[in-house]
Order: sequence, then C-alpha cells, then structure tokens
Amino acid sequence: MIRRILSLVKKEFIHLKNDWWLPVFMIFGGALELLMIGWATSRPISNLPLMIWDQDKTAASRNLVISLDNTDIFDLLDPVESMTSIEDSMDRGDINAAVIIPQGYSEELSVPGGEPVIQAILNGAESIPAREAQRAFEGVIRDIGEKTTIKHLGLNPDELSGFDFSLRVWFNEALSEAYFTTPAELGLMLEFTILLFAALTFSREREFGTLEQLLVMPFTSLEIIIGKSIPVILVGMIDFSLMLGMVHFAFKVPIRGSLPLLFLLAFIYTIVELGKGMAISIFSKSQHQAFLLVFMIGMIDFMFTGYAAPVESMPQIIQYLANIIPAHHWLDILRGILLKGSGLMDILPSVIALLILGLIIVYFSFRYIRRALD
Amino acid sequence: MSFRHLWAVIRKEIQHILRDRGTFILVLITPTIVLLMMTYALSADIQHVPIALLDYDQSATSRSYIQHITAGDDLDLYIIVGSIEEIEELLTRGKIKAAVIIDPGFSEDLLAMRGFSLQIIIDGTEPESGGFAVDHIGWRTEAFANQILASQFQTRGFALDSIQPIDLRIRAWYNPNLKPRVDLVPGLLSIVLGFPALSVALTLAREHEHSTMEQLLVSPITRIELLLGKMIPYIITGLINVIIIPLLAIVWFQVPFNGSFLLFFALSALFLFAELSMGMTIGVFMRSQSAALAASLLIVMFPGFFLTGIFFPIASLPEMARMESLFLPGTHYAIITRGVFLPGIGMDILWPSAIMLTVIGLSFTGIATLFFKKKLA
Amino acid sequence: MIEINQLTRVFKDKTALNQITLSIQQGELFGLIGPDGAGKTTLLRTLAGLLVISEGKGTVSGFDIQKESERIKPKLGYMAQEFSLYEKLSVLENLRFFAELYDVSPKEQADRIPDLLEFAGLTSFKNQRAAHLSGGMKKKLALASTLLHRPPILLLDEPTTGVDPVSRREFWNILNDLHLDGTTIVVSTPYMDEADRCSKVGLIYQGNLVICDTPAGIRDRLEGEIIKIVTDDWQKARELLLPLPGVLEVQSYGEALHVLVDSSSKRERELTRILKKHKLTILEIRSTSPRMEEAFISLINKLDQVN
Repeated sequence: MIRRILSLVKKEFIHLKNDWWLPVFMIFGGALELLMIGWATSRPISNLPLMIWDQDKTAASRNLVISLDNTDIFDLLDPVESMTSIEDSMDRGDINAAVIIPQGYSEELSVPGGEPVIQAILNGAESIPAREAQRAFEGVIRDIGEKTTIKHLGLNPDELSGFDFSLRVWFNEALSEAYFTTPAELGLMLEFTILLFAALTFSREREFGTLEQLLVMPFTSLEIIIGKSIPVILVGMIDFSLMLGMVHFAFKVPIRGSLPLLFLLAFIYTIVELGKGMAISIFSKSQHQAFLLVFMIGMIDFMFTGYAAPVESMPQIIQYLANIIPAHHWLDILRGILLKGSGLMDILPSVIALLILGLIIVYFSFRYIRRALD
Repeated sequence: MSFRHLWAVIRKEIQHILRDRGTFILVLITPTIVLLMMTYALSADIQHVPIALLDYDQSATSRSYIQHITAGDDLDLYIIVGSIEEIEELLTRGKIKAAVIIDPGFSEDLLAMRGFSLQIIIDGTEPESGGFAVDHIGWRTEAFANQILASQFQTRGFALDSIQPIDLRIRAWYNPNLKPRVDLVPGLLSIVLGFPALSVALTLAREHEHSTMEQLLVSPITRIELLLGKMIPYIITGLINVIIIPLLAIVWFQVPFNGSFLLFFALSALFLFAELSMGMTIGVFMRSQSAALAASLLIVMFPGFFLTGIFFPIASLPEMARMESLFLPGTHYAIITRGVFLPGIGMDILWPSAIMLTVIGLSFTGIATLFFKKKLA
Repeated sequence: MIEINQLTRVFKDKTALNQITLSIQQGELFGLIGPDGAGKTTLLRTLAGLLVISEGKGTVSGFDIQKESERIKPKLGYMAQEFSLYEKLSVLENLRFFAELYDVSPKEQADRIPDLLEFAGLTSFKNQRAAHLSGGMKKKLALASTLLHRPPILLLDEPTTGVDPVSRREFWNILNDLHLDGTTIVVSTPYMDEADRCSKVGLIYQGNLVICDTPAGIRDRLEGEIIKIVTDDWQKARELLLPLPGVLEVQSYGEALHVLVDSSSKRERELTRILKKHKLTILEIRSTSPRMEEAFISLINKLDQVN
C-alpha cells in the first residue's frame, strides 16, 4: 500500500511540475504579502487629520493646539474659521476629528471655578480611528486640567501630581502592534493557502474529467486521499515555516515557547484545514465553486482569529460558534506559544479542542470523500 | 467595436451562468452569508473584561477602590489574588486580560493629596481587550481619585467644584455611539461585493482548460469585444447583490442610509467595473484557473482587505502602502459607501472617488486588452 | 491562395517548423500528412494566425499571416484538433454563437443553419446540449460551425481522428462536395489512405516538408512494385527476405509484409521459394502497385537512415 501511495504522490508531483510554480507562487507570494501587509498595518494609529477652529486665539488656546499637535496621533491641518469648513471636511471624510475652542476659553481657564469648555467632534464614519482620537483628546485635556488645578490651588506641583499609573504590558513590553496583528495575519494566510490548495485538488480533476481516470486505477480511495493530501501538507508546512521565520525576523515577534511543540500543533492544524478543504473540493462541481466556498469560509473563520475584535466581546451565540472554528483555537495556541511562552499545560484546552475538532472534521470529510469517490 | 460580437459573448456567458445552478446560487448567497457573519462578529461591544486585583494596601480606601472599579459592566472582578505569580499564571492561561496592583502606600498617598501610583498589567497579545482595560481602569481610577481629592480639598478649605475644570464635550457625527457595526458594514461592502467579482479572472483560463479558446481566437472577434463581453455578465450578477446586500444592512442591521440609492447603485456599478477590470487583467496572464485564483487572492484580495482603510485608517499607513491603496478599487468604494450611508453625501463630494474608479477601470481594461494576444503562443 | 516561404517556427529549443516553402492554389484539396508531432497542427495554427513565426513569411489570400492575421480570419474556417463545443449550450445555440462571431446575418442564419444541421445529420439533436453528443456528432457539428460563414478557405486539423469509419466516409463526401464547389481546403490527417482523396499532398516529418506532390506523383516516386505476403511467422519471413537480391525494402503491416521489389514478375517466384525452403507457410501472396502508405513509409525510412 505504501508503494502505491508513493506512486500516487509521484504522479501528483509530476502533474504539479507543469504548474510547479503555483504552490511556489502561493507560498512565496503569501509570505511576501504577509511581510508587506504586516509592515503596513503593524503600527499605531497616527497621522489622523485634525481640523481646529480656534475662536479664542489666546496663549492658552495655542497651548492646547500645541499639545494636540505633540501627540503622534494627530496630523494638524491648517486652522479654519467656520463650521461649514468642518462640516464639509467631515462629510467628505477628509478629517477624522475637529476641535472647536470657543471664545473665552482662556478667560474661563484662568479663573478658579471657571467653566472652560472645549468641543470635540469625531468622525463616526470611521469608528476605529475615532476611538483613538477620543482617547487622545481626553488625555490632553486631562493633563491641561490637572496643571490648571494645581496652579489654582497654589499647590506645589511636586505635592500633587494627581493620579499616575505605571503600565506594564506583559508579553508585549514594547506594545509593538506587530505582536497583535501579525499572528492573526499569519493565521489568515495559512488558512487560505491550505484551504485553496486542498479545495483545488479534486475539483480540478473533476473539471478536467480526469477524476474518472483516477478512479479506475487500482488505488483504494484511502490511498487516493492520502496521496493527494501529502503535497498539500507539504505546502502548508513550508508556508508556515516561511511565514513564521518572516514574522520572527522581520517583525521581531518572539518565540517564547517550545518550537517543536509549535510545529507539531501547526502540523495538526494543517491536517484539519486540509480535511475541510478536501471536503470542499469534493463538494464543488468546479474550481469556481471551490473558490467561492473557500472565500466564504475563510472570511468567516478570519473573524474568529480575533484580528478585528476579541472573541469574548461577540454575542454569546457567536462565541459558541467560535468553539467549532479550528482557526480560533489555532490562534490561541499560536499567540500562546509565541508571545506568552505557554507550555502544553497552559494551552491545553485549545489543544484538546483542536484535536477533537480535527478528528471530527477529518473523519467526516474523509468518509464523505470516500463515499463520493466510490 | 461590433455590438453583435459583444452581445454574442455576453449572451453565451449568461447562458453559462444560469445553467450552472450551483455556482449561480453560490455567487448570490456568498456575499450575504459573509456579511452576516462578519458583521455579527465585528459589532463587538466589549464588556465584562475579566481583571484581577492584588491589594498590598489593604485599607478601607483600597477596598472601596476595588468596589468602585468593578462596579460597572465593563470590568469584571475575576479574582482577588495574593501574589504576582498568580497574576502571571492567570494571564498566561488567558483567564484574565488585565490586573491592577495596589501598592502599600495607596490610601496614604491619596489622602495626603500626593501623587500615587498603580501598576496595571495587561495582556499584550490582545490589543482590544488590553486597551479597553487600560482605558476603563484609568477612567474609573481617575473618577475615584477625583472624588477623594475633591473631598480632601474641601476639608482643607479649598473651594473647588472639581479637579477637572475643563468640560470636554465630545460628539461623534454619523455614528453617535461609535458603534463599529455602523461604519464597518458599509466598508465591508467593498469586500463582500468585490471579491466574488474576482472570479472573472477565471473565465479566460476556463476557456483554455475546456479547449474552447482556440475557436474563439481564430474568429474575427476583437480582444476588447471578448474581454468586455466576459466582464459585463459579472457586473450584472454583481449588481443583483448590490441591491440585496445594502437592503440587508439597512433592514436587518439597522445601519442608517442617508444618501441617494440611485447614486449608490451607479457608483457600485462603477466599482464593479474597476474591480472586474483588475480581475480580468490577472485572468489574461494566467493559463489555468488555479493560477488565476491564487493570483487574485494575493494581488487583489489580501491588500483589498487590509489596505483599503476598512480596518486600519489609510492615514496611518506608510507612504508606499498608501500609494498602493490608491490603486485598489476597494479604497475608493469604501469612501463612497461610508459617505453615502452615513453622512448621505452626493456626487458633488464623491466625484474624486468616482473618477478614480473610472480611471482604474479604464486603465486595467486597457492593460488587459493590450496584453491579451489573440495567439496561442 | 496560400503561399509560405521558408516558414520557420522555433519554440523552446524545438524547431517545430523548419523552413517550409509551400504554395496552395485556390480550389485545391490539399492533404497534410505526417505522424504525430510532425508539425501538422503547428503549421495549420500558424496559417490561422494563432502562432508566432520565427522566420520566413506567409500569406493567405494575399494577407500576411504575421501582420494581418485578423483580416484573414473572416475568410477562414478553422477546425482545431481539440475543438470543443460549449457543453452547456445546445447544438443550435453553439451554431448561433459562432454565426454571430462571424457576422452571419440572421437571415443567412435562418437559411443555412437548417441545411447545415441536415447535412451533419443533427437536425433532431438541435436542442440537445452539446455535452450529450457522441464523438462523431461533435466533429460533424464542429465542421458545420466552420461552414456557417461560407469561408473560401478551410483549415481542418485532423477532422476525422476518433471518428467511426462510416462517419469518416460521410465526412470526406462532404469535403469533396465543398471541393467541387470551389472551396480551398487544407486537411491534416494521420490516415494515409485519406491522402489519396486529396488533389495535392504534403508530407511533414519532424518539422520539415519532405515532399509535396499529387497522390499519383508520390506513389510513382516509389520505384518498384509491391508484393504483399502473409505468412505464419512474419518476423522470420522478414529476416529471410531482406537480404535477397531485388528486394528494396520490407515493410511490416501487422501480420503482413509489404515487400518492395524492382520487378514483381521477376522476383515473386524466388521469394516464394526461399520462404517455402524455410518451412514457412504462405497464406497469401499478391502483387499490387504501391500505395500512398508505402510510399510515405519508404520516404520516412530513408530520412531516418540519413539522420
């Protein structure tokens, strides 16, 4: 049996030789993509265009403007003198926020018990930068407020410096965005690569009409399945290694846990996605269908990697759903081993979940495929 | 250009689409399903973030502080621990997302109106929860401290209404509660409508793989007739989704729609044209469908997901990436959808994006025509 | 009508066509014969404007095939070897599609399509999906689609390969009718016997045009006569006969041997004697005049020997 499987694998590779550049393209293209996108998006939100209407034009208001400018978050535009300018720019989506400093701000600020007001407007059409802008505003205003209070009270700044806290960020001391984003991006690319590749295995043959040929050859369906799986597993593992290397060396994401364990779990994950992909490929009548299904499943799974929002904050039903998504557990494992230095015991629930899911998916997929082939 | 030829190709493609029931259904329902799932997943309201507290102060003030911090729905007190090791373990296991360590001099410093400090530890692997925790711990601590400080000031004879004199009034336009769903859904439209359109990349390769290409090449049909003839049916199927998906967004997800639907429809057609032209260009270079798929995934899809300003603001991208995003139809369409849905703006403001889409569409159609040779080799 | 001069095409280190010079007159039924991989398809594709030429020139109907191929296409009916129909479309829809591409007006379509269906024997199948047709019917449908626009030139690449003998004969009847009508036809085929039905024949071997003449002319080039011998042990017979005087060549055809001799009257008795001497039973022995097939194989053998 082994010999027959090997001959099948050889045949696959021969076929692949004509399109040998396809897996190479996907692997290297994917890694390159990860590099580029990771580099582009693994940075803090900054340079948000900010429009200021200073109706006060005093030293105090200018001080506020300077403080805002000093944050990295904002990119100060030329000051304006009308609400219309702000409205237009907001409507157009040209600015993420605007600040209106009303006349009298400085006066109110200088008097103890005064009521200085600052108006800030956020562009809610982009909520993610808007939140960052909000945070920045609050920070700047708080600082100014504190300093003013200290002055009013005639206190020694050393005595009352207000509330200060020291922030320790574990697992990601430098608060490098890349630590957050690149594991999820890696997960996405890996899943898409494996799924796409696996999904094409059978649907391609079916479309070409060579599936029948395969079936009349003296292979058992199990051998066919294994024979077709091996190239995909190879592609998956090479892809993973390459991307892991990239993430580690280019983005300085550490590998704090056990590397062998990580590879073992990557291997298991590859097989799980392979099972999914092959089920898709048998189910699809054409490569076009396979593509649409992979897109659909890939996008949905990606949500559960926690890239855009943590899973815990999703509606309850969705959270239950997350448990049956292999990518979800895989990302937990990935982040655990890379960033937290987790050992097997620490990530055990995810590993068990992945194994159980894997067994179920692989078992049913393979059974379905066997039945379809026979 | 002969409209006869064009129509012949369009008709053939449509006949194929309609007779392939499975694929047709998939093309129609995939965007809907993806939009549903993604929106639900992304409309996260972060709540109940579990934190741990380590109280070295053990005073009435510190206990009051703990209560204050965890009083709301935003932060949940998971457990009060006795050592840093416990915190470490809990963080590693993912049981908590943050921890606060109250130093021994906490209440003393606070009551003496000295600066006091806290240690906050967050799980750096999760930006959202971590950042959320810092923010809310910060706000609540500040509120707590201000309360104490204010009463302290008053007992010492300082007349002070509040520690924070400045009234910062923040309003968020178009999306008052900054609900992610409201602005993400229009942005997701470019992903959900655009990606299936990329299947146009397959169509030339399919003719090769099914051995029907030779007869096409040998006929008098011109390149532009063939390419356009193949693109137009995809615009039509795309437009069907352009009607269905926004309806879903508006009715089911209650995303506000303040603009003109006619304008939206027209600009969506333009977007589809641009996206299709990119897909077609890829298709011209690829001989096999698998290659076309892989290429469109890498060249249009992934950048279209990350670099079009939907999840990550374009202003924050490095210069080179920002340039690249200009070439992606999704970038301009996201501006259009956000604009039409939320502020409800019209063509007078959106015309630059419309022009960009037209330019992209025409350029890539031109490139595809140029590089598509009516030769086998 | 078709003129090519020193046409050469090199592709990936392989010379697919080597300095071919050929001239096909209007109204000829020209047969392109050669084994698989000889270059027939390459030549036809080049004439149709589908492939790029490395060297040399060619014109079809006065238009340069390299630079003006698009102007040739309306006048050309081309049937590819791997011609595949649109499986999901019906016979009628397939025909209509190609008719539109060739600018056949609706009135002309209404006139011609029923006739074409008739002569291809597909009238009752006209609404069937192309996927449901048999191999022979598909080829006939393919031929029908090339005729929709009444092209003056037809290029057919192995139109009868994979078709049953009855259909093959019908096919050639159709071609003959077209030929009589004045259509210039270039047919490629691996079947030597079909070469006889052409007005002129070109033999292609390994990218070279080895010979180009009328069928009779080619047959006549073979000096000698053929004695066809069937024995009970052809291998032994072959060994025995080869060295005999007057035997120019021995070709094997399954069980039979076709022996080329300088004169059959002179040599027949001798051959019979030798075979009988070695205890071989002669099942059949006949002298015939050389056929195209033998002529070709003889030519190819000589070429191989030279190389």
